[in-house]
Amino acid sequence: MRDVYVIGAGQSPFGSFPDETYLTLFETAYENALESVGGKLDPDRIDEAFLGTLGVGGRQIGLSSPAVTEHLGLHGVPTTRVENACAASGYSFRSALTAVRAGTADVALAGGYEVMTDTSADQTKWWLGVSGETEWERMSGTTFAGVYAQMASAYLDEYDATVEDLSRVAVKNHGNGAKNPKAHLGFECSLEDANSAPGVADPLNLYHCCPTTDGASAALLASEEVAAEFDGPSVKIAGAGAASGRVGLFQRESLTSIPASVQAGEEAYAEAGVTPDDLDFAEVHDCFAIAELLAYDDLGFCERGEAGRLLREGVVDPDGELPTNTSGGLKSKGHPIGATGTGQVVEAFFQLRGEAHVQVDDPTYGLTHNVGGSGGGVTVHVFERTEVDA
Amino acid sequence: MSDERDVAGDLATDGGTATDADPVGIETAAIRLPAFRLSSEEIADAWGTSHAPGVERKAVAGADEDALTMAVAAAERVLAGGDEGAAEAPTTVVDPGRIDLVVTATTTPPMEEGEFTPRLVRALGLPTDVATATVRGSTAAGGEALARGLEAARSGTALVVVSDCPTGDPAETDHPMGAGAAAFVLSADPAVEVGDPAWHVEEYPGIRHRERGAETVDTLDITTYQRTAIRESITAATETLADDGGPLEASGFEAVDAAAVHQPNGSLPYRATGDLPVDPGTVQAGTVADRIGDAGAATVPIGLLAAVADRNADGDDPDAHHGVATFFGGGTAVSMACRGTLSVAGVDELDGGESITYDDYLRKRGTIVDGAVAGGGAHVSLPNWQGSLDQRYRLAAGRCPECGGVTFPPTGACRECHERVTFEEFEAPRTGTVRAVTVIGQGGAPPEFTGHQQRDGAYGVAIVDLGEGEDEITLPGQLTDADPTDVEVGETVAATVRRIYEQEGVPRYGVKFVPTDAESTDAE
Repeated sequence: MRDVYVIGAGQSPFGSFPDETYLTLFETAYENALESVGGKLDPDRIDEAFLGTLGVGGRQIGLSSPAVTEHLGLHGVPTTRVENACAASGYSFRSALTAVRAGTADVALAGGYEVMTDTSADQTKWWLGVSGETEWERMSGTTFAGVYAQMASAYLDEYDATVEDLSRVAVKNHGNGAKNPKAHLGFECSLEDANSAPGVADPLNLYHCCPTTDGASAALLASEEVAAEFDGPSVKIAGAGAASGRVGLFQRESLTSIPASVQAGEEAYAEAGVTPDDLDFAEVHDCFAIAELLAYDDLGFCERGEAGRLLREGVVDPDGELPTNTSGGLKSKGHPIGATGTGQVVEAFFQLRGEAHVQVDDPTYGLTHNVGGSGGGVTVHVFERTEVDA
Repeated sequence: MSDERDVAGDLATDGGTATDADPVGIETAAIRLPAFRLSSEEIADAWGTSHAPGVERKAVAGADEDALTMAVAAAERVLAGGDEGAAEAPTTVVDPGRIDLVVTATTTPPMEEGEFTPRLVRALGLPTDVATATVRGSTAAGGEALARGLEAARSGTALVVVSDCPTGDPAETDHPMGAGAAAFVLSADPAVEVGDPAWHVEEYPGIRHRERGAETVDTLDITTYQRTAIRESITAATETLADDGGPLEASGFEAVDAAAVHQPNGSLPYRATGDLPVDPGTVQAGTVADRIGDAGAATVPIGLLAAVADRNADGDDPDAHHGVATFFGGGTAVSMACRGTLSVAGVDELDGGESITYDDYLRKRGTIVDGAVAGGGAHVSLPNWQGSLDQRYRLAAGRCPECGGVTFPPTGACRECHERVTFEEFEAPRTGTVRAVTVIGQGGAPPEFTGHQQRDGAYGVAIVDLGEGEDEITLPGQLTDADPTDVEVGETVAATVRRIYEQEGVPRYGVKFVPTDAESTDAE
């Protein structure tokens, strides 16, 4: 199995851009990814493309990937749409990784896109619920906010965490996102703001929920041989893990853990030969504040049930031991469903290159964690800054 | 006057086990009222006056209730001999396999044409070879249904369920309109003997009717004509009861101490019995419209049960108690005499309930709610929905023959051992514990639930554990009949069949959960 490197990564601004299309948004992300490569990468060298999207709004559900690659001039390049809800581009990234590892591609494009803010409120809610378990969970009258709220109610009941800990996720992530010019909600918020926001689905309020966002992101993956051609610190994909789980929350043993996150995390750590202690930063899936707490527990950042403490003690702040969601996370940077997974890779790439907006001091290892739905599919990737011999 | 009325009659003529001389009647019975009450003062505040004479307050169906869900709840109650977890132990549990005939009566079926009784049969898990009949069309439907059930009781067991929630023009006709359901198990082993029904049929147009396609009941209100028609019909149907060889034969009308008489409001039954030898106290004993309003076809059946309920508390001879029930539709009057008493589950609900405001009332009824929502619904096809009815009504779960683990819904691989097996199906218990709960506020509902939220306000959604140990199943469900903000993890809830949502014009039903107010035994 070949070592694989991220040689470039980029994103469009995340936000509300009703005048853009998924084609134009991805074009921006792709151009920024090419721009980030240390030297000129001839697009003709891209052997295959894997693009994630849920397809919110029902636009070009069939063959959206060829529509994108042809729009970019990647004429004839084999491409596949990858759909795993909010983990669509975590999985498109994994597919590209597999292709380069296997040697069927030397350079692969991974990415994702979503346009969410140009449809009616009812249409949006319809689409947000389609990745939950349809026959029972949806039919009990919930969308995702409701399902994560149920997890929050169980978590707050079971462990020593509070609604204020949920608010601390918002405060931290907005603090980071305020420094990210590509963030959707790039403003700071106080603990009081976050505590007193209007309720959405008890115990979650508006500040405990990410926005619906338009955006695209892209990453260029390459073999070690190709990576060696380019300048700058190299970003190696040191470990990859992925797992699936029951789509419906009610179908799972525990309501306060996402088993697929645990499994994917363990795989990624094992492959990279690291433990959570070795990580210098992490981008975790914080679609709702409770999801970030679950991620801390499930990825071994702390003992189970201790997630609230990491927030209270500042462990996950930019100057803490394990800065988390320095990009602003889904909460502040935004959550264009299909673009979120590779959007996290963009942050990891720039952190390890020392070019992030909220830069961690000299990092070696970083982790990305992308969850589909309420835990039906998860990817975890561990990235390592290393030197490639030319 | 009534549809599909020729199914049950055959049962009575096939030889049977009882002779004409053997008494038939009510073996057990239950009342089921919705949780909400609206006082006539609220109506008077809103309209300047209340057109509901003699009605102090009325029962109001919840936003997810209709004639079918109330019928299911009443029937569940009578078959279970009371409520699970209720203070009083269940009296008689009726084996569903005994039921030969199910007759329902309502003037407000959820669909103008479409299955009503089969849905009830399915929700109760009754055998598929049970005979059914559905009586509709007038407030006499409850009497017609009981008459059909009594015939069948000579040779078997009949379940008669009368459930109704009429509406009228909000400015006037609607003021007395209430809601409720009563369920009867009729057999040749009666606690309350019921005699042969006596009939009086005459054409009286314009007294009470609902135009084709209309939602609301109307009356032309031709006062003297109407009063005379009702009084004469009721008198004609009732006066023969004293000498027809039935329960009043020996004692005559003097022994009647309760009369449940056609009661579209709380005053009319007194006026309508003016030509009969019954005193106001007797009429009062069978009148419930003062507390539940005009529950259409269900008012007299509920009144009858209120009249015959628990009258031997002081050690009297139960057979000393005699009652009369008199139904009137738009022209049919039917009357029956009874003797005896029995314990009626749910009778306490006549004096219970949660008061709501007139605004709440209009919302719950959908009067001021549009309900139509763009954006479509999540697509669960009707064939798929139909295939899951055992799960949605009866909580059918699967036990794995390999590892003993349980899976709900019982499809796909075993949730415990992940082997692909053929599950052994079993019904989960209908009470359980909240494991997780949230409240879906304004704007947070999926589009197919927006109409429900407009009518009912913020609603709770819980993940509920049902059963113990290895047999424990988990499912998500909406909370109903409760302030969702009061429900916490660890609380006990009971399953009830309610309207889930409507898609492509077809209402779909399944379990929701009602907090039982019982303290959870431990914090699990």
